[in-house]
Amino acid sequence: MKAKPQVLVIDDDAVVSRSIDRVLSDRGYEVDTALSGEEGLKDIENHDYDVVFTDIKMPGMDGIEVARRIRDKYPLTPVVVITGYGTTENEAQASVLGVSGFVRKPLTPELIENITHKALEKPVLEVQAANEPAAPSAVPETSSGLAKAGRVAKNIALFLAAPFIALGYVIALPAVGFYMFARFALEALRKRRSAS
Amino acid sequence: MTAQTIHHPSHQVQINKVYLHPLPVRIWHWLNALGFLLLIVTGFQIRYVDLFGLMSFEAAVKLHNWVGFGVIANWFLWLFYYMASDKVTNYHPDLDAKDFFDRYFRQVQYYAWGIFTGAERPHRVHPHDKFNPMQKLTYQFVMFISAPVTFLSGLMMWDVQRFAGLIEMAGGIRVVNTIHVFMFILFVFFIIIHAYMGFLGSKPSSHFKEMFTGYEEPHV
Repeated sequence: MKAKPQVLVIDDDAVVSRSIDRVLSDRGYEVDTALSGEEGLKDIENHDYDVVFTDIKMPGMDGIEVARRIRDKYPLTPVVVITGYGTTENEAQASVLGVSGFVRKPLTPELIENITHKALEKPVLEVQAANEPAAPSAVPETSSGLAKAGRVAKNIALFLAAPFIALGYVIALPAVGFYMFARFALEALRKRRSAS
Repeated sequence: MTAQTIHHPSHQVQINKVYLHPLPVRIWHWLNALGFLLLIVTGFQIRYVDLFGLMSFEAAVKLHNWVGFGVIANWFLWLFYYMASDKVTNYHPDLDAKDFFDRYFRQVQYYAWGIFTGAERPHRVHPHDKFNPMQKLTYQFVMFISAPVTFLSGLMMWDVQRFAGLIEMAGGIRVVNTIHVFMFILFVFFIIIHAYMGFLGSKPSSHFKEMFTGYEEPHV
Protein backbone atom coordinates (compact mmCIF):
# COMPACT_ATOMS: atom_id res chain seq x y z
CA MET A 1 0.00 0.00 0.00
CA LYS A 2 1.25 3.47 -0.84
CA ALA A 3 2.01 5.75 2.08
CA LYS A 4 0.69 8.88 0.39
CA PRO A 5 -1.85 9.34 -2.39
CA GLN A 6 0.05 9.95 -5.64
CA VAL A 7 -1.02 12.81 -7.88
CA LEU A 8 0.18 13.77 -11.34
CA VAL A 9 -0.38 17.27 -12.70
CA ILE A 10 -0.06 17.76 -16.47
CA ASP A 11 0.04 21.41 -17.43
CA ASP A 12 2.25 23.40 -19.79
CA ASP A 13 1.96 26.32 -17.35
CA ALA A 14 4.36 25.31 -14.59
CA VAL A 15 2.96 27.95 -12.28
CA VAL A 16 -0.38 26.13 -12.21
CA SER A 17 1.36 22.79 -11.62
CA ARG A 18 3.37 24.26 -8.78
CA SER A 19 0.25 25.79 -7.21
CA ILE A 20 -1.42 22.37 -7.16
CA ASP A 21 1.84 20.78 -6.00
CA ARG A 22 2.13 23.22 -3.11
CA VAL A 23 -1.49 22.84 -1.99
CA LEU A 24 -1.59 19.05 -2.19
CA SER A 25 1.94 18.47 -0.83
CA ASP A 26 0.96 20.50 2.24
CA ARG A 27 -2.02 18.20 2.68
CA GLY A 28 -0.11 14.94 2.53
CA TYR A 29 -0.19 14.06 -1.16
CA GLU A 30 2.81 13.21 -3.29
CA VAL A 31 2.74 15.30 -6.43
CA ASP A 32 4.57 14.90 -9.73
CA THR A 33 4.32 17.35 -12.58
CA ALA A 34 4.58 17.06 -16.35
CA LEU A 35 4.69 19.87 -18.87
CA SER A 36 2.99 18.08 -21.76
CA GLY A 37 0.48 15.35 -22.43
CA GLU A 38 3.19 13.13 -23.89
CA GLU A 39 5.40 13.52 -20.83
CA GLY A 40 2.43 12.90 -18.54
CA LEU A 41 1.46 9.69 -20.32
CA LYS A 42 5.03 8.44 -20.02
CA ASP A 43 4.93 9.14 -16.29
CA ILE A 44 1.66 7.25 -15.95
CA GLU A 45 3.24 4.20 -17.63
CA ASN A 46 5.97 4.14 -15.01
CA HIS A 47 3.97 5.12 -11.98
CA ASP A 48 0.66 4.24 -10.39
CA TYR A 49 -1.19 7.52 -9.78
CA ASP A 50 -4.31 7.90 -7.68
CA VAL A 51 -5.43 11.10 -9.43
CA VAL A 52 -4.31 12.85 -12.60
CA PHE A 53 -4.91 16.55 -13.24
CA THR A 54 -4.60 17.68 -16.83
CA ASP A 55 -4.92 21.11 -18.37
CA ILE A 56 -7.35 21.14 -21.27
CA LYS A 57 -5.37 23.53 -23.50
CA MET A 58 -1.80 22.48 -24.14
CA PRO A 59 0.46 22.65 -27.14
CA GLY A 60 0.77 19.22 -28.77
CA MET A 61 -1.54 16.73 -27.13
CA ASP A 62 -4.45 18.48 -25.45
CA GLY A 63 -6.16 17.52 -22.21
CA ILE A 64 -9.09 15.84 -23.96
CA GLU A 65 -6.72 13.48 -25.75
CA VAL A 66 -4.79 12.85 -22.53
CA ALA A 67 -8.05 12.03 -20.71
CA ARG A 68 -9.10 9.74 -23.59
CA ARG A 69 -5.82 7.80 -23.52
CA ILE A 70 -5.90 7.46 -19.75
CA ARG A 71 -9.49 6.19 -19.91
CA ASP A 72 -8.55 3.61 -22.57
CA LYS A 73 -5.47 2.31 -20.80
CA TYR A 74 -6.17 2.99 -17.11
CA PRO A 75 -9.95 3.17 -16.74
CA LEU A 76 -9.77 3.21 -12.94
CA THR A 77 -7.52 6.28 -12.70
CA PRO A 78 -9.55 9.41 -11.91
CA VAL A 79 -8.80 12.36 -14.19
CA VAL A 80 -9.54 15.95 -13.28
CA VAL A 81 -9.57 18.40 -16.17
CA ILE A 82 -8.31 21.94 -15.58
CA THR A 83 -10.22 24.42 -17.71
CA GLY A 84 -10.11 28.14 -18.29
CA TYR A 85 -12.90 30.55 -18.98
CA GLY A 86 -15.54 29.94 -21.64
CA THR A 87 -14.62 26.31 -22.27
CA THR A 88 -18.03 24.76 -21.81
CA GLU A 89 -17.80 22.90 -25.11
CA ASN A 90 -14.50 21.35 -24.07
CA GLU A 91 -16.01 20.39 -20.74
CA ALA A 92 -18.87 18.66 -22.54
CA GLN A 93 -16.33 16.77 -24.64
CA ALA A 94 -14.39 15.75 -21.56
CA SER A 95 -17.60 14.75 -19.75
CA VAL A 96 -18.30 11.99 -22.22
CA LEU A 97 -14.86 10.59 -21.50
CA GLY A 98 -15.92 10.09 -17.92
CA VAL A 99 -13.52 12.43 -16.20
CA SER A 100 -13.93 12.70 -12.46
CA GLY A 101 -14.28 16.45 -12.41
CA PHE A 102 -13.42 19.86 -13.72
CA VAL A 103 -11.61 22.59 -12.00
CA ARG A 104 -11.77 26.08 -13.42
CA LYS A 105 -9.02 28.64 -13.24
CA PRO A 106 -8.29 30.59 -11.13
CA LEU A 107 -7.54 27.74 -8.80
CA THR A 108 -7.92 28.21 -5.09
CA PRO A 109 -6.49 25.85 -2.45
CA GLU A 110 -10.02 24.84 -1.40
CA LEU A 111 -11.01 24.09 -4.98
CA ILE A 112 -7.93 21.92 -5.54
CA GLU A 113 -8.39 20.06 -2.28
CA ASN A 114 -12.13 19.47 -2.74
CA ILE A 115 -11.84 18.23 -6.30
CA THR A 116 -9.00 15.87 -5.32
CA HIS A 117 -11.07 14.46 -2.45
CA LYS A 118 -14.05 13.99 -4.74
CA ALA A 119 -11.96 12.32 -7.42
CA LEU A 120 -10.52 9.90 -4.87
CA GLU A 121 -13.90 9.10 -3.39
CA LYS A 122 -15.97 8.63 -6.57
CA PRO A 123 -15.47 5.40 -8.48
CA VAL A 124 -14.59 6.40 -12.03
CA LEU A 125 -16.89 3.91 -13.71
CA GLU A 126 -19.83 5.38 -11.83
CA VAL A 127 -18.93 8.85 -13.11
CA GLN A 128 -18.59 7.49 -16.63
CA ALA A 129 -22.03 5.93 -16.51
CA ALA A 130 -23.53 9.15 -15.26
CA ASN A 131 -21.87 11.11 -18.01
CA GLU A 132 -22.60 8.76 -20.89
CA PRO A 133 -25.84 10.30 -22.19
CA ALA A 134 -24.20 13.67 -22.67
CA ALA A 135 -22.48 14.30 -26.00
CA PRO A 136 -20.65 17.40 -27.17
CA SER A 137 -23.24 18.01 -29.86
CA ALA A 138 -25.96 17.69 -27.24
CA VAL A 139 -24.81 20.90 -25.59
CA PRO A 140 -26.83 23.60 -27.32
CA GLU A 141 -25.03 26.79 -28.29
CA THR A 142 -27.52 28.83 -26.31
CA SER A 143 -26.76 26.97 -23.09
CA SER A 144 -23.01 27.58 -23.45
CA GLY A 145 -23.77 31.21 -24.28
CA LEU A 146 -26.02 31.45 -21.25
CA ALA A 147 -23.40 29.82 -19.05
CA LYS A 148 -20.83 32.32 -20.28
CA ALA A 149 -23.21 35.23 -19.70
CA GLY A 150 -23.93 33.89 -16.22
CA ARG A 151 -20.23 33.67 -15.46
CA VAL A 152 -19.63 37.22 -16.70
CA ALA A 153 -22.56 38.50 -14.61
CA LYS A 154 -21.22 36.68 -11.55
CA ASN A 155 -17.74 38.11 -12.14
CA ILE A 156 -19.08 41.66 -12.38
CA ALA A 157 -21.34 41.20 -9.35
CA LEU A 158 -18.39 40.00 -7.27
CA PHE A 159 -16.28 42.89 -8.58
CA LEU A 160 -18.95 45.38 -7.53
CA ALA A 161 -19.36 43.67 -4.14
CA ALA A 162 -15.60 43.95 -3.51
CA PRO A 163 -15.62 47.47 -1.97
CA PHE A 164 -18.26 46.54 0.60
CA ILE A 165 -16.54 43.33 1.64
CA ALA A 166 -13.14 45.07 1.61
CA LEU A 167 -14.49 47.80 3.87
CA GLY A 168 -15.81 45.17 6.28
CA TYR A 169 -12.44 43.40 6.30
CA VAL A 170 -10.54 46.68 6.80
CA ILE A 171 -12.77 47.54 9.78
CA ALA A 172 -12.33 44.03 11.21
CA LEU A 173 -8.59 43.95 10.53
CA PRO A 174 -7.30 45.57 13.77
CA ALA A 175 -9.40 43.27 15.98
CA VAL A 176 -8.60 40.17 13.93
CA GLY A 177 -4.95 41.22 13.83
CA PHE A 178 -4.83 41.54 17.59
CA TYR A 179 -6.44 38.11 17.97
CA MET A 180 -4.03 36.53 15.46
CA PHE A 181 -1.03 38.12 17.14
CA ALA A 182 -2.19 36.94 20.58
CA ARG A 183 -2.77 33.42 19.25
CA PHE A 184 0.63 33.40 17.60
CA ALA A 185 2.35 34.65 20.79
CA LEU A 186 0.56 32.05 22.94
CA GLU A 187 1.53 29.24 20.58
CA ALA A 188 5.16 30.39 20.59
CA LEU A 189 5.11 30.57 24.40
CA ARG A 190 3.62 27.09 24.64
CA LYS A 191 6.26 25.70 22.28
CA ARG A 192 9.01 27.35 24.28
CA ARG A 193 7.66 25.93 27.54
CA SER A 194 7.33 22.42 26.16
CA ALA A 195 10.86 22.63 24.75
CA SER A 196 12.42 23.67 28.09
CA MET B 1 7.52 32.93 -24.43
CA THR B 2 10.74 33.27 -22.38
CA ALA B 3 11.59 30.33 -20.18
CA GLN B 4 14.02 29.26 -17.52
CA THR B 5 14.87 25.86 -16.10
CA ILE B 6 14.52 24.97 -12.44
CA HIS B 7 15.07 21.76 -10.53
CA HIS B 8 12.10 19.76 -9.34
CA PRO B 9 12.37 16.63 -7.13
CA SER B 10 11.18 14.37 -9.93
CA HIS B 11 11.71 16.39 -13.10
CA GLN B 12 13.85 19.06 -14.64
CA VAL B 13 11.01 21.52 -15.05
CA GLN B 14 10.87 24.20 -17.69
CA ILE B 15 9.24 27.23 -16.09
CA ASN B 16 7.41 29.69 -18.30
CA LYS B 17 7.33 33.30 -17.29
CA VAL B 18 3.82 34.34 -16.38
CA TYR B 19 2.15 37.08 -18.40
CA LEU B 20 0.74 38.90 -15.43
CA HIS B 21 0.14 42.50 -16.46
CA PRO B 22 -1.67 42.99 -19.80
CA LEU B 23 -0.78 46.08 -21.83
CA PRO B 24 -3.88 48.14 -20.85
CA VAL B 25 -3.07 47.54 -17.17
CA ARG B 26 0.55 48.63 -17.64
CA ILE B 27 -0.47 51.78 -19.53
CA TRP B 28 -3.05 52.55 -16.85
CA HIS B 29 -0.52 51.90 -14.08
CA TRP B 30 2.17 54.24 -15.41
CA LEU B 31 -0.30 56.99 -16.34
CA ASN B 32 -1.72 56.69 -12.85
CA ALA B 33 1.74 56.82 -11.28
CA LEU B 34 2.61 59.95 -13.23
CA GLY B 35 -0.76 61.51 -12.45
CA PHE B 36 -0.52 60.81 -8.72
CA LEU B 37 3.03 62.16 -8.51
CA LEU B 38 1.91 65.38 -10.21
CA LEU B 39 -1.12 65.60 -7.94
CA ILE B 40 1.06 65.13 -4.85
CA VAL B 41 3.58 67.77 -5.95
CA THR B 42 0.93 70.32 -6.94
CA GLY B 43 -1.10 69.41 -3.85
CA PHE B 44 1.90 70.21 -1.64
CA GLN B 45 2.38 73.47 -3.53
CA ILE B 46 -1.27 74.44 -3.05
CA ARG B 47 -1.37 73.41 0.61
CA TYR B 48 2.00 74.84 1.65
CA VAL B 49 2.22 77.83 -0.64
CA ASP B 50 4.67 79.62 1.67
CA LEU B 51 7.04 76.66 1.98
CA PHE B 52 7.50 75.73 -1.68
CA GLY B 53 8.20 77.87 -4.71
CA LEU B 54 8.01 75.32 -7.52
CA MET B 55 5.30 77.27 -9.33
CA SER B 56 2.75 79.96 -8.68
CA PHE B 57 -0.35 79.07 -6.66
CA GLU B 58 -2.57 79.68 -9.71
CA ALA B 59 -0.44 77.44 -11.94
CA ALA B 60 -0.43 74.71 -9.26
CA VAL B 61 -4.23 74.84 -8.95
CA LYS B 62 -4.68 74.74 -12.72
CA LEU B 63 -2.29 71.81 -13.16
CA HIS B 64 -3.80 69.99 -10.17
CA ASN B 65 -7.29 70.30 -11.70
CA TRP B 66 -6.27 69.12 -15.17
CA VAL B 67 -4.25 66.19 -13.88
CA GLY B 68 -7.09 65.37 -11.48
CA PHE B 69 -9.53 65.02 -14.38
CA GLY B 70 -6.98 62.91 -16.24
CA VAL B 71 -6.62 60.57 -13.26
CA ILE B 72 -10.42 60.30 -12.93
CA ALA B 73 -10.70 59.39 -16.63
CA ASN B 74 -7.89 56.87 -16.16
CA TRP B 75 -9.76 55.33 -13.20
CA PHE B 76 -12.80 54.76 -15.44
CA LEU B 77 -10.56 53.10 -18.02
CA TRP B 78 -9.34 50.77 -15.26
CA LEU B 79 -12.93 50.08 -14.18
CA PHE B 80 -14.24 49.31 -17.67
CA TYR B 81 -11.18 47.27 -18.60
CA TYR B 82 -11.58 44.98 -15.60
CA MET B 83 -15.35 44.73 -15.96
CA ALA B 84 -14.87 43.52 -19.53
CA SER B 85 -11.93 41.23 -18.78
CA ASP B 86 -11.74 37.77 -17.26
CA LYS B 87 -8.90 39.19 -15.14
CA VAL B 88 -11.63 40.80 -13.05
CA THR B 89 -11.09 37.85 -10.67
CA ASN B 90 -7.98 39.65 -9.40
CA TYR B 91 -10.26 42.10 -7.60
CA HIS B 92 -12.87 39.60 -6.48
CA PRO B 93 -13.48 39.58 -2.75
CA ASP B 94 -12.59 36.53 -0.70
CA LEU B 95 -15.88 35.36 0.71
CA ASP B 96 -14.39 32.98 3.26
CA ALA B 97 -13.28 35.51 5.90
CA LYS B 98 -11.48 32.96 8.08
CA ASP B 99 -9.41 31.64 5.20
CA PHE B 100 -8.73 35.17 3.99
CA PHE B 101 -7.42 36.38 7.36
CA ASP B 102 -5.36 33.20 7.84
CA ARG B 103 -3.67 33.82 4.49
CA TYR B 104 -3.40 37.54 5.25
CA PHE B 105 -1.41 36.88 8.41
CA ARG B 106 0.70 34.22 6.76
CA GLN B 107 1.64 36.99 4.31
CA VAL B 108 2.32 39.40 7.21
CA GLN B 109 4.61 36.79 8.78
CA TYR B 110 6.37 36.35 5.47
CA TYR B 111 7.00 40.08 5.08
CA ALA B 112 7.97 40.41 8.75
CA TRP B 113 10.67 37.73 8.76
CA GLY B 114 10.09 34.93 6.25
CA ILE B 115 11.40 37.08 3.45
CA PHE B 116 14.67 37.61 5.36
CA THR B 117 15.13 33.92 6.13
CA GLY B 118 14.46 32.70 2.60
CA ALA B 119 11.04 31.21 3.38
CA GLU B 120 8.80 30.20 0.51
CA ARG B 121 6.33 32.85 -0.62
CA PRO B 122 2.89 32.00 0.75
CA HIS B 123 1.12 33.27 -2.35
CA ARG B 124 1.80 32.03 -5.88
CA VAL B 125 0.90 34.51 -8.57
CA HIS B 126 -1.45 33.63 -11.38
CA PRO B 127 -2.84 35.95 -14.08
CA HIS B 128 -6.29 35.53 -12.54
CA ASP B 129 -5.10 35.69 -8.95
CA LYS B 130 -2.03 37.89 -8.94
CA PHE B 131 -2.46 39.72 -5.64
CA ASN B 132 -1.53 38.22 -2.30
CA PRO B 133 -4.17 38.83 0.43
CA MET B 134 -2.39 41.97 1.72
CA GLN B 135 -2.12 43.42 -1.77
CA LYS B 136 -5.67 42.47 -2.63
CA LEU B 137 -7.25 44.17 0.38
CA THR B 138 -5.06 47.24 -0.11
CA TYR B 139 -5.88 47.55 -3.81
CA GLN B 140 -9.57 46.92 -3.24
CA PHE B 141 -9.57 49.67 -0.62
CA VAL B 142 -7.48 52.08 -2.68
CA MET B 143 -9.26 51.56 -6.00
CA PHE B 144 -12.84 51.20 -4.79
CA ILE B 145 -12.89 53.47 -1.75
CA SER B 146 -9.94 55.88 -1.43
CA ALA B 147 -9.78 56.86 -5.10
CA PRO B 148 -13.52 57.62 -5.55
CA VAL B 149 -13.61 59.52 -2.23
CA THR B 150 -10.58 61.57 -3.30
CA PHE B 151 -12.10 62.26 -6.72
CA LEU B 152 -15.44 63.28 -5.27
CA SER B 153 -13.94 65.58 -2.62
CA GLY B 154 -11.62 67.04 -5.25
CA LEU B 155 -14.52 67.70 -7.62
CA MET B 156 -16.45 69.44 -4.85
CA MET B 157 -13.54 71.79 -4.18
CA TRP B 158 -12.95 72.36 -7.89
CA ASP B 159 -16.36 74.00 -8.27
CA VAL B 160 -17.71 74.91 -4.86
CA GLN B 161 -20.81 76.62 -6.21
CA ARG B 162 -21.84 73.82 -8.52
CA PHE B 163 -21.49 71.22 -5.74
CA ALA B 164 -22.79 73.45 -2.93
CA GLY B 165 -25.58 71.01 -2.08
CA LEU B 166 -23.21 68.04 -1.86
CA ILE B 167 -20.72 70.03 0.20
CA GLU B 168 -23.44 70.94 2.65
CA MET B 169 -24.51 67.29 2.87
CA ALA B 170 -20.91 66.31 3.61
CA GLY B 171 -20.72 68.79 6.49
CA GLY B 172 -19.22 71.87 4.84
CA ILE B 173 -16.13 72.80 2.88
CA ARG B 174 -13.77 72.27 5.84
CA VAL B 175 -14.93 68.67 6.19
CA VAL B 176 -14.52 68.08 2.44
CA ASN B 177 -11.07 69.66 2.51
CA THR B 178 -10.04 67.54 5.52
CA ILE B 179 -11.23 64.36 3.76
CA HIS B 180 -9.29 65.33 0.62
CA VAL B 181 -6.11 66.05 2.59
CA PHE B 182 -6.51 62.83 4.60
CA MET B 183 -6.80 60.85 1.37
CA PHE B 184 -3.78 62.73 0.02
CA ILE B 185 -1.77 61.59 3.09
CA LEU B 186 -2.98 58.00 2.57
CA PHE B 187 -1.89 58.10 -1.07
CA VAL B 188 1.55 59.47 -0.16
CA PHE B 189 2.04 56.56 2.26
CA PHE B 190 0.62 54.13 -0.27
CA ILE B 191 3.07 55.26 -2.95
CA ILE B 192 6.06 55.06 -0.58
CA ILE B 193 5.13 51.52 0.54
CA HIS B 194 4.20 50.53 -3.02
CA ALA B 195 7.62 51.65 -4.27
CA TYR B 196 9.36 49.80 -1.41
CA MET B 197 7.43 46.60 -2.19
CA GLY B 198 8.51 47.04 -5.78
CA PHE B 199 12.04 46.11 -4.69
CA LEU B 200 10.94 42.78 -3.18
CA GLY B 201 10.88 40.78 -6.39
CA SER B 202 13.22 37.91 -7.26
CA LYS B 203 15.75 40.70 -7.95
CA PRO B 204 15.36 44.30 -6.73
CA SER B 205 14.61 45.43 -10.28
CA SER B 206 12.27 42.52 -11.18
CA HIS B 207 8.91 44.05 -10.30
CA PHE B 208 9.82 47.33 -12.01
CA LYS B 209 10.82 45.49 -15.19
CA GLU B 210 7.64 43.45 -15.01
CA MET B 211 5.52 46.59 -15.09
CA PHE B 212 7.12 47.37 -18.47
CA THR B 213 7.26 43.90 -20.01
CA GLY B 214 4.13 42.44 -18.42
CA TYR B 215 5.93 39.19 -17.58
CA GLU B 216 6.61 38.13 -14.03
CA GLU B 217 9.49 35.80 -13.46
CA PRO B 218 8.28 33.14 -11.02
CA HIS B 219 10.20 32.96 -7.74
CA VAL B 220 11.87 29.59 -7.60
